Amino acid sequence: MNTAHSVEHAGADTDHIHGHEEHHHEETFLTKYIFSQDHKMISKQFLITGMFWGVVGGLLSVLFRLQLGWPNETFPFLETFLGKWAEGGRISQEFYYALITMHGTILVFFVLTGGLSGTFANLLIPFQVGSRDMASPFINMLSYWFFLSAGVVMLFSFFIQTGPASGGWTAYPPLNGLRNTGVNLGSGLGFDMWALGMTLFIASSLMGALNYITTVLNLRTKGMTMMRLPLSVWALLFTAIVGVLSFPALLAGVVLLEFDRLLDTSFYLNNIIINGQLLGYKGGSPILFEHLFWFLGHPEVYIIILPAMGIVSEVLAVHSRKPIFGYKAMIISLMAILILSFIVWAHHMFVTGLNPNLGAIFTLFTLLIAIPSAIKVFNWIGTIWRGKIRLTAAALFAIGFVSMFISGGLTGIILGNSSIDIQLHDTMFVVAHFHIVMGIAAFFGMFAGVYHWFPRLYGRFMNETLGQIHFYITLIGSYCIFFPMHFMTGLPRRYYSYANFDTFNNFNNLAAFMSIVAIVVFLAQLLFLVNFFYSIFKGRKLEGEYANPWDSNTLEWTAPVERLHGNWPGDIPEVYRWPYDYSVNGKPFTPQNVPLKDGEAAH
Amino acid sequence: MIAFLSFAIVVLLFTVLVLTAKASEVATELKDGVRSYTNQSRINGYLLLGFLVLMFAGSAYAFKELMPVMIPKAASVHGEKTDYLFNMTMIIILVVAVLTQAALFYFAYRYNESRVNEAYFYAHNNTLEIVWTIIPTIVLTVLIVMGMYEWFTIFTRDRDKNMLVIEATGKQFNWMIRYSGKDGKFGERIIDTAHVTPTNELGINWNDPKSHDDFMSDKLYLVKGRPTLMKLGAQDVIHSFYLPHFRVKMDCVPGTPTEFYFTPTMTTEEMRQYLSTQPWWQTINPETGQPRWQTFKYELACAELCGKSHFGMEREVIVVTQNEYDEWLNKQTSLYDATIKPALAKDSTAVAPVAAGADSSKPGEKKPTAMLIKK
Repeated sequence: MNTAHSVEHAGADTDHIHGHEEHHHEETFLTKYIFSQDHKMISKQFLITGMFWGVVGGLLSVLFRLQLGWPNETFPFLETFLGKWAEGGRISQEFYYALITMHGTILVFFVLTGGLSGTFANLLIPFQVGSRDMASPFINMLSYWFFLSAGVVMLFSFFIQTGPASGGWTAYPPLNGLRNTGVNLGSGLGFDMWALGMTLFIASSLMGALNYITTVLNLRTKGMTMMRLPLSVWALLFTAIVGVLSFPALLAGVVLLEFDRLLDTSFYLNNIIINGQLLGYKGGSPILFEHLFWFLGHPEVYIIILPAMGIVSEVLAVHSRKPIFGYKAMIISLMAILILSFIVWAHHMFVTGLNPNLGAIFTLFTLLIAIPSAIKVFNWIGTIWRGKIRLTAAALFAIGFVSMFISGGLTGIILGNSSIDIQLHDTMFVVAHFHIVMGIAAFFGMFAGVYHWFPRLYGRFMNETLGQIHFYITLIGSYCIFFPMHFMTGLPRRYYSYANFDTFNNFNNLAAFMSIVAIVVFLAQLLFLVNFFYSIFKGRKLEGEYANPWDSNTLEWTAPVERLHGNWPGDIPEVYRWPYDYSVNGKPFTPQNVPLKDGEAAH
Repeated sequence: MIAFLSFAIVVLLFTVLVLTAKASEVATELKDGVRSYTNQSRINGYLLLGFLVLMFAGSAYAFKELMPVMIPKAASVHGEKTDYLFNMTMIIILVVAVLTQAALFYFAYRYNESRVNEAYFYAHNNTLEIVWTIIPTIVLTVLIVMGMYEWFTIFTRDRDKNMLVIEATGKQFNWMIRYSGKDGKFGERIIDTAHVTPTNELGINWNDPKSHDDFMSDKLYLVKGRPTLMKLGAQDVIHSFYLPHFRVKMDCVPGTPTEFYFTPTMTTEEMRQYLSTQPWWQTINPETGQPRWQTFKYELACAELCGKSHFGMEREVIVVTQNEYDEWLNKQTSLYDATIKPALAKDSTAVAPVAAGADSSKPGEKKPTAMLIKK
């Protein structure tokens, strides 16, 4: 029934596009490059905007690593660039907290959500399901422009007098819930701009996600049943579902927070006493905000990691010349992660004084996530086992992703256990955990995707040697920064300096070491940028009109190299098989649009 | 100048790298043909194997160097249990990490293009899938059950009648620590504008006689072996009451009381004696010129971002025996005796001076006696 359904749609779609093509030549510079409704161009827009934000977010971390690594030193050049935020060459406390707040916001939302999902959902979904474009190209375009304007608002908040938001990316009230009280940090205009920026971002994310879901469900080509979708599309579909269901909760939370700030309501405020003066707020609870925030905040980490998982599954299979091991198990485990991701949020709140029964339930569900995660890891390792692995930059980053996901995922088993988390909550152990498992790992997935699909995007290759240098520096560097950080167990995070405490002041040499490595790793990312932009213009060209550089089975390589609004010049290819027929039937690979041979059973 | 030089060096390095990389690309094309990845797969295979060795060696080195520097063993009853859980889980995940990382990088080396003629089409194996689903499930079940048992023990066990109750209230950027004095009972606190004033931030009702022996302390005194209930709150923003050595952490939320019940097991002195046997703690601290164990102290910290001086909310914690505690308790002057009483004596015109209730005062009105109360 499912098949029949998509056949109908594919037919309708083909007719529509024939009409469409006649208007193809009417693309102007503006509609082709700026207000483009072509999913491939929008993908590039998301990618390059995401890269910009990656550089900004990384640079912020380099700045606060200077403070953390050398708390007693001064860096006069900082004052040159930052002025009052770094008087005497030392980053001020206010600015330090602004740096960590914006670093978190930018990396989590603007790079690893917008940049990652936006790029690969746009590029891969229409191509790999066999569709001319997204279900609604116009809304897709709006999604990018809302993303960009959200970024503009965030960026401008750096340049206002009171500075950007600085109460943590989690935006907890009352720290962020009171305006103009004089003693609260980060509650000025910067936070209102943060809230506005996030609102625009959420709108962008919802428009994108609805489009992705609709496209996957309705615009699959003839023969493309759900069980013939590549895992990358499955992962992006689940990501979009998680986003649609969870982002609205954050929007509600932020809107109510702005009510408290601007209209003096008391959703999150109760009995606030500042300098002995009781303010008039009654009856709210800051914990309510934490629930709303983490109802998005936790699924958010899966919004970040699921696309990376999908990309890596695809890249590992293609470059190992083997089918992904346990295709169905991979889908079921993705689905299990999707469901569980909605019922674990309070593990961020074990020590907020919540009911102990709740703590126990959330421990249970949290640790259960380890099971589908473990299945995925075993299946990736099973995929490369007895393969014929082409160790390109893309494959290396995919392998690096699995390594990071193992290392970071395992410490989650410690943190998810509520009684152990009492000590570890809000300490550097948590910082080490989530940077490895969702920060570095997601970046590795993203890099694997960029190196792998760069030829699809630009018709040229990225330079392999530079890519591999980039890989080794990033892999070794990331472990050097975040592995030793686990030993800072018990050191509170978000500390400007540990000098006030005898207990925490014993890791200064280590902190300096981590800062040096962080700077090196940051520079290695610039090497990636150089490679990227250099290759757009000067990279080795793809050969042939219909090049399939990695001998891949998926449909994106059946379209011509030259960018074409509508993807395929003639009919949309029909699909006869699953995407993982590698090294079978005596052929190294068999693309999905190759009909079954006589007597061959569909997988 | 140095900044400019380092910038120039980085640019130069980048240029060299890009040119070399481009050259190597062209060379590969000429030598192996455009579509061949065999040579680089061979090199990367060895590099990944090398990385695996490096990773294990580096991790072992990190354990050796950094373990001794970590916050020492737990000094509370439940802390010993959660530390045990932590260590047990850590050993399990280390075993899993070593096995999976070794498999991952070894396979990447062993099955790289240069060492294999053909990939083996192997799409799934249900038995294997079931096995590697069930094993983690069993291990996790054990961990979940042990964790939950400990969690419920910490938060729902019966309280000792003889427990010590201490109140701690966080504010930007300080802790207000209140003891109930000799009667063991706290004076009532009323949160309204009549009671809460700049000089009586906690809103203590001085008409409640139980408040008359309550006192504030700069340091948190705890008694070895005596169960302690921390009653926690916050004035302005969320803080988090964190005693790293006792594995105690609980958020302090404005308008919502929270608490944490625990039992210290080692006095400050005993912890010093224990640490004096540890090699790293015997080294000299360059700041004090003494062996580190000699100046060891327990500390209280804030663990929830609460503003620009979040990192400065330090208070010393001292664990003593019951006798030492009683001695210390006897030396304390109550807040009432120190501030309210002298004011009453001096200012005889102040009838019913202590905040009598909302009806007798207007918001913002200053009370002559309460004004004198200092922290």
